[in-house]
Amino acid sequence: MLSRVADSLYWMSRYIERAEHTSRVMAVKLESMIEQTPEDAIASWSRVIEALTGEMTLDATQDAFLTTRKLAFDRENGAALITSLSMARDNARQVREALSNEVWENLNRLYLRLAPVTMDSIWVHTPARLFREALEDMHALEGVTYSTLSHGEGWYFLELGKHIERAQLLGRLLDVHFRGPRDGSQNTPKYFDWLVLLKFCTAFEPYTKLYTASIRPQKIAEFLLFDPEFPHSIRFSVDRVTDALARVAPGAPPARRAAVERLAGRLKASVDFGQIDELMSGGIAGFLADITRQCEKIHETLYGSFITYGAETVL
Amino acid sequence: MQHEAFANTEDFGGADIAATPPRPSRPGQDAPYLNYALGKAYDEMFAPDGNPRPPYAALDNRISTLPLEELNRRQQACEQSFLHQGITFTVYSDNQATERIIPTDLLPRIVTAAEWERIERGLTQRILALNLFLRDIYSDGRVLKDGVVPRAMIYGSKHYRREMRGLPVPHGAYVNICGSDLIRNEKGEFVVLEDNLRVPSGVSYMLANRDVARRAFPGVFRSMNVRPIEQYPLELLATLRSLAPFHDDVSIAILTPGVFNSAYFEHAFLARQMGVELVEGRDLLVNDNVVYTRTTSGLKRIDVIYRRIDDDFIDPLIFREDSSLGVPGLFNAYRAGNVMIANALGTGVADDKAVYAYVPRLIRYYLSEEPLIDNVETFLCREEKSLKHVLANLDKLVVKAVGESGGYGMLVGPHASQAEREEFAGKIQSDPDNYIAQPTIQLSTAPTFVGNGVESRHVDLRPFILHGSETKIVPGALTRVALRRGSLVVNSSQGGGSKDTWVLGQ
Repeated sequence: MLSRVADSLYWMSRYIERAEHTSRVMAVKLESMIEQTPEDAIASWSRVIEALTGEMTLDATQDAFLTTRKLAFDRENGAALITSLSMARDNARQVREALSNEVWENLNRLYLRLAPVTMDSIWVHTPARLFREALEDMHALEGVTYSTLSHGEGWYFLELGKHIERAQLLGRLLDVHFRGPRDGSQNTPKYFDWLVLLKFCTAFEPYTKLYTASIRPQKIAEFLLFDPEFPHSIRFSVDRVTDALARVAPGAPPARRAAVERLAGRLKASVDFGQIDELMSGGIAGFLADITRQCEKIHETLYGSFITYGAETVL
Repeated sequence: MQHEAFANTEDFGGADIAATPPRPSRPGQDAPYLNYALGKAYDEMFAPDGNPRPPYAALDNRISTLPLEELNRRQQACEQSFLHQGITFTVYSDNQATERIIPTDLLPRIVTAAEWERIERGLTQRILALNLFLRDIYSDGRVLKDGVVPRAMIYGSKHYRREMRGLPVPHGAYVNICGSDLIRNEKGEFVVLEDNLRVPSGVSYMLANRDVARRAFPGVFRSMNVRPIEQYPLELLATLRSLAPFHDDVSIAILTPGVFNSAYFEHAFLARQMGVELVEGRDLLVNDNVVYTRTTSGLKRIDVIYRRIDDDFIDPLIFREDSSLGVPGLFNAYRAGNVMIANALGTGVADDKAVYAYVPRLIRYYLSEEPLIDNVETFLCREEKSLKHVLANLDKLVVKAVGESGGYGMLVGPHASQAEREEFAGKIQSDPDNYIAQPTIQLSTAPTFVGNGVESRHVDLRPFILHGSETKIVPGALTRVALRRGSLVVNSSQGGGSKDTWVLGQ
């Protein structure tokens, strides 16, 4: 597969994952905020803003309308839903020949449907509905991606993009919930916030099946970090990354492959042997930061080995 | 794709349609043809007496019995389909990028089997002669020595590539993919307006139009024995393969300028349909005169490149050094015979306006045959007799500067003032070699859906000719439509659209 094509597939998939994550978090947030006190809602918004944008760039006390606009429809905001979708589509357009019609048309339709949406038009009804509908479209997109593309090298680059992104997004979401507030206030998450965290990750029902409805932060952390079967746990994503790395660039020289696989093995070991009790006694932020760093390192090495390598090194 | 959008059981009753007696919907009198103008131009659908020509009877019957809302709905379904497929171009204004679809008209244009047979034979003859001509001017130059074509016209052309001299190309096929623009004159005869021998585009719209028109009129389509065109990508692939007969496992790539090129949809479409790589200049590199693509597994050799980049930009070492689209060293790899490029470089010399005028003579010279399809009558001002005729008839002619395109350096005699004509006459006399003149021609008109009815619009016809070890013309074409009433300009950049072309079987 052309390196440039692999690059575009990888990023298309990362942006779709980011868009899906943003949609779900926004939907859950908008649905849940009516049940919160104003103070709790603000604390919860500030966690959402930081988890979605990576920094505290927005004033969480401002109107939910403005925050939603910023996070969903502000094209100046690199992390906004519409920006992610637009980037996903631009990448897809560059590799039209590597995608099925169904994949392209689902993504294109989704973008064309959201591009003209204005805040005023969604705010008069149930604001969360738009995000729920976008999620349905994204699930359809995921379905046709699974069922109409060959599960060859290109598909594994999509998997890599999706799960490297997902692991990092999850890491950030967990971090803002477990680390405690940065501003020193007393706004630590409450029972309701833990419930919402599970819903941010579509994890509520899967969690209760395993741990019953007793909502305990430690169990939530354990589930979202280490559960091997739940698709929105960090461990699940790490396993997919490891699998996918074994399937891409089949003809690359062994030395190149080894560099990436070694890193993946290390990441896998971190989550396979992580102990929740150890983490809860203080180390969870450090652990999450380490996972993020390892994901970034895998990304760099993946690129250096298969995508941006110098031609002179192989001639 | 939303096939159900067109579902209408009535549409599938092909037999019923044929059995229904023709309704007397007359152009200019009855809906939906209230504003259908029949003028001096040949009309594809209606005879001068206002009766539909026989090949159009079934279509006429269908569109004159469908309510306008239904036609509108089908037109919208066509446009939706284009939008979702991404058959769009981007318009930039006020820092806003707006995507527009390439306009498509849902009413097909019909070409009969007999008409097509003549077109096919004529274009085959033409491409043979043009390829022989290119081989000749890049080797001995016999045609120049014999004085058939003026030497200065060829060697002085900016599209003549000295680098190509003496370089053999497979099967002597310089032009492998050609899109010729035909028009139909007032007498109903097809004539060639232009040969596009460099990087002609539009074939993806031919296929996309078929896709929507067939769904818009399934019953009519089925009842009419329309010849299929879906094999085009396969034929193109076979043509490209035939350029590299030296081994079985030929690796082929389409070289695109990238996603911002207006024809990018087509490049990606063809790559997908043929199952070959779509590459940009930055994906390719040349080492030791061999061309490689950079893949995740390492470098992979490329044998044949279907390039959709102009000569000028293909290799910065040989041609324009400021080109970032091309591949340094590509031409040397080509010269070494390690990669085949389609079309060959330097084909542009044979499709400028001056050489065009010589094509009928080239056909006689190389093939000893009479041209089966005529040119538009063209007067070369470099020839004394023609010059006199042109100067005496400036009020009836269109005069074009040879080296220009897109309407620049042009005089439209009938629309010009006496002063403008006199000024232009001076220009022609001071540099007659640079001018040709043609009579003004009314392109034929075809029915086009305009929202509140069906009106006549001017159209041309661009079939696509493939030429490798053999010549193939898929029975279909891009029919371009001048969507503005009365306009003769079919270019998509100037308000043109396109429609499906149904070539009928015997």
